[in-house]
Amino acid sequence: MSTRPSLLSGWGFVAPALSLLCAMNLFPLFFNIYLSLTNADLSGGTVKFVGVRNYTLLFADAGYADALTTTATFVLWSVSIETVVGFVLALSLRDRVPAKPVVLTVLLIPMMLCPVVLSLFWNLILNGSYGVLNQLLGALRLPEPQWLTDSDLKFVSIVLIDIWMWTPFMMLISLAGLNAIPRYIYEAAEIDRAGRWLIFRSITLPMCAPLLGLAVLLRATDALKQFDLVMAITGPNDATTQTLSARLYQVVFRDYKVGLGAAYGVVILVAVIAVATLFVRYLERLQQGQGKREAGLP
Amino acid sequence: MRVIVKLSVLVSVVTLGLAAVACREREPSDTRAAPSAAAPSAAPEQKAAPEQKAAPEQKKALTIWWAQWAPADGLQELANEFGKRENVDATVHQIPWSNFQDQVFQEFGKNQTAFDIVVGDSQWLGRGATKGLYLDLTAWLPTAVKLQSLHPLALKYLAEYPTGSAHYFAAPAETDAMGWAYRKDWFEDPKEKSAFQAKYHKELAVPQTWEELRTIAEFFTRPGAKRYGNVMLTGRGYDDVVMGFEQVLYAFGGSWGDPKTLKVKGALDSPEAVQALDFFKGQLKYAPPGGSKLGYGEVLEPLVNESSAMAMSYFAFFPGLVDKMGAKVGFFPMPKHGDRQYASLGGQGFSISSKVPAPQQELAKKFIAWFLETDTQKKWVQKPGGFTANAEILKSEAFKTASPYNAAFAQSLDLLQDFWNVPVYNELIASTVQRIGEALDGQKSPREALSLLAAQHEKILQAAE
Repeated sequence: MSTRPSLLSGWGFVAPALSLLCAMNLFPLFFNIYLSLTNADLSGGTVKFVGVRNYTLLFADAGYADALTTTATFVLWSVSIETVVGFVLALSLRDRVPAKPVVLTVLLIPMMLCPVVLSLFWNLILNGSYGVLNQLLGALRLPEPQWLTDSDLKFVSIVLIDIWMWTPFMMLISLAGLNAIPRYIYEAAEIDRAGRWLIFRSITLPMCAPLLGLAVLLRATDALKQFDLVMAITGPNDATTQTLSARLYQVVFRDYKVGLGAAYGVVILVAVIAVATLFVRYLERLQQGQGKREAGLP
Repeated sequence: MRVIVKLSVLVSVVTLGLAAVACREREPSDTRAAPSAAAPSAAPEQKAAPEQKAAPEQKKALTIWWAQWAPADGLQELANEFGKRENVDATVHQIPWSNFQDQVFQEFGKNQTAFDIVVGDSQWLGRGATKGLYLDLTAWLPTAVKLQSLHPLALKYLAEYPTGSAHYFAAPAETDAMGWAYRKDWFEDPKEKSAFQAKYHKELAVPQTWEELRTIAEFFTRPGAKRYGNVMLTGRGYDDVVMGFEQVLYAFGGSWGDPKTLKVKGALDSPEAVQALDFFKGQLKYAPPGGSKLGYGEVLEPLVNESSAMAMSYFAFFPGLVDKMGAKVGFFPMPKHGDRQYASLGGQGFSISSKVPAPQQELAKKFIAWFLETDTQKKWVQKPGGFTANAEILKSEAFKTASPYNAAFAQSLDLLQDFWNVPVYNELIASTVQRIGEALDGQKSPREALSLLAAQHEKILQAAE
C-alpha cells in the first residue's frame, strides 16, 4: 500500500483555504480593479467601461492631494511618536518593576478596546463645551482649547488619540525584542566597561531593530488606512483631517461614485504595498547584517 | 482519506457558491402583493416595476423609510391609522440621520428596494429623478391633491424637479424651515431690558434685521459669566453649515448661482456674498466656545443650558425645546437685511421607489393621497414636529396659536430658499462645507474661500452636464 499522498488529495486539503482566499481576497481585489475602470454608481444604473478616466480624475483632484498630505503627515507623526514612546516604556519595564503584570495590563487596555468606541469616548472627553478635559482645565483655571473645532488642534487631537491607542502595541513588541536579547551580551559589555549609551547604541538598539522595524511596518500600514478616528472625531469631510480612507468614503457613499472610489482603493493599496515592500527589504537587510555579525563574517 | 478529500471539495464548492451568491445582485423577493401589468408612468430611465408572484390572501404591507426623529414617530401613528382603514401593515422604518442617506442610496442600488416610499431630502430630487430611482408623479399628483392647496414654495422645493418645470417626483411630507429660538426669560427680564435701553437707546425685543440680531448677541455676550449671544448652524457633518449660511447669503444679496445657466461665478463670490460670509463669521464672536462647529444635534444645547441667548435651527426641533424649557423659550423667523429675508428650507418629501412592484406603488400613492388630505394634515400638525405645507391650515388662526412656534413657522414658509437639488448635490454640499468651514476657521479669508468655492461649483456642475 502506497503511503504517498496523491495529487488529488493534496489539492483536496488545500482547496478549502484556497477557495476562501479566492472568494475573500482575490475576487474583491480584482473586482475592485475592474470597478475602478468603470463609471459604476452606488445607486445602480448602467455600468460603462471608462478606461483610466477615474485615475486621471483622481490625480487631478485637489482633494486627493490634500488627503494624501494629511495621511502622510498623520503616519509620520503618529508612528514616530508611538515608536519612541513605546520603546522608552518597554525599556523602563524590561527590568523588575513593582506590580509589573498589573502595569502591563493597564498599559495594554487602550489597544485591546474597540477603536470606534474609544473614538466616541474621546469625542465626549475632548468636547469644547461639555468635555471632561476642558471641565478639568477650567476648574484649574487653565485655558480651555477647542480640541475638536480649532483648525490647528483637530488634527493634533486625532494624532494624540492614535498615539494613546497604539503606543502599547509598540511597547509590547519592543518588550518582546528587548527580552530576546541574551543576558550574556550585556554581561560581556559590562566586563568591557562599556557605558550605558554605548550599550544601548551598540547592543540594545541593533538587536531590537528587526522586531521594532516589524512593529513600525505593521503600524505604518495600519495608519495609512486611518478611518475610524477621523469619522468619529471630525467626520469624513473635514478638510484638515481628511485622510485617504475618509476621502474614499466621501467619494463612494456621499458622492455615489463607486468607480472613482475603487480607484482610490487601488491607490491606497499600492501605497500600502510600497511602504510594506520598503520595510520588508529593510528588515531583510537588517537580518542579513545580524546573521553575518553572529557568524563573524565581515 | 477519500472521505476527507470529498469533504474538502464539498466545502470548497459551498464556499465558492456562497461567494457567488453574495456577489450576485439581489433578485426581487417581495411577497407583499400580487403583480399587476398596469405600471404607472415613469421617468425616462426608469425600468418597469419588478413583477413577482405572491399569495393573494396575504395582508398587504407598506414600508416607508425615514430618518430617526420625532416626526417619524408621528408619521408611524398616522400610518397605523391608514393601516387600520386599508387593512395594511404600514411601517415607518427609522434610520439614524448619520446613515440615512447612505442606506437609502445603497438600497436603490438593488433590483428592488425594501421600501415603497422614502421620505427624502429635497436635494435628493435631481438624483432620484434623473437616475430613475423615484417614480414620476407629474400626472398623478394633481389628481391626488389640489396643487393650489399646497404652499407654492414647499411644492417647488420639496416636490418639483427641475425646479420650475412642473414635473413632480415627490409630495411634501414634512415641510420645515429654519428659524430662531431665544431665551424669552432673558429678553423679558426688566434688568436686561433697562441695561439694553441704557446701552443702545432702544428696546430689547425680538430682532427684525440681522444687524439687530448682532447687536442683541453682542449685548448678551458675557464670557466671564459664561453667557453668550447666539449660536448658529456651523457643523461640518452633512449640510449643517450650508443651511446655516444660506439664509444670510441670500439676505445679503448673494446666491448659490443660476440654476438655468449653471453659472456660479459672480453670484457666490460677489461682494454681497463676501459681505454675507463676513457677517456670518463675525457672529462667532458672540457664540460660546466651540460655536464654530455646531451641528443639528448640538445647536440648541447652549440655549437649554443657559449659555446662549439665541439659537438657529429647524422648526421641527422646536417642540422638543418647548418640552425642556416651557415658557422660557420664544421663537422668531429669520431676520431681514434691507428688504431681503430668507429662511433655509428643511423637511422632506414622499417619493415612491421605482424599484417596487406596481401594486406597491399604487398602495404608496393611496397613502400619500390620504396623508395630504386636509383632515389628515390637521392630525399631522398635532404630532411632535409635524409641520404641514397645507396652505389652508397654515393661514388658520387655530394653527398659528396652537404652539409658541407655529406663527413664526407659518411666516417662515414665505421666505423659503433651498440649495441645489441637481444629481451632484452632494459634491456641491461637501465642497461648500469645506470652503465655508475654512473661512470660519480662519484658514482662508471669506473672499478667498468664496472665490475658490464658486470655481469649484462651476467645475462640478459643468462636469455633470
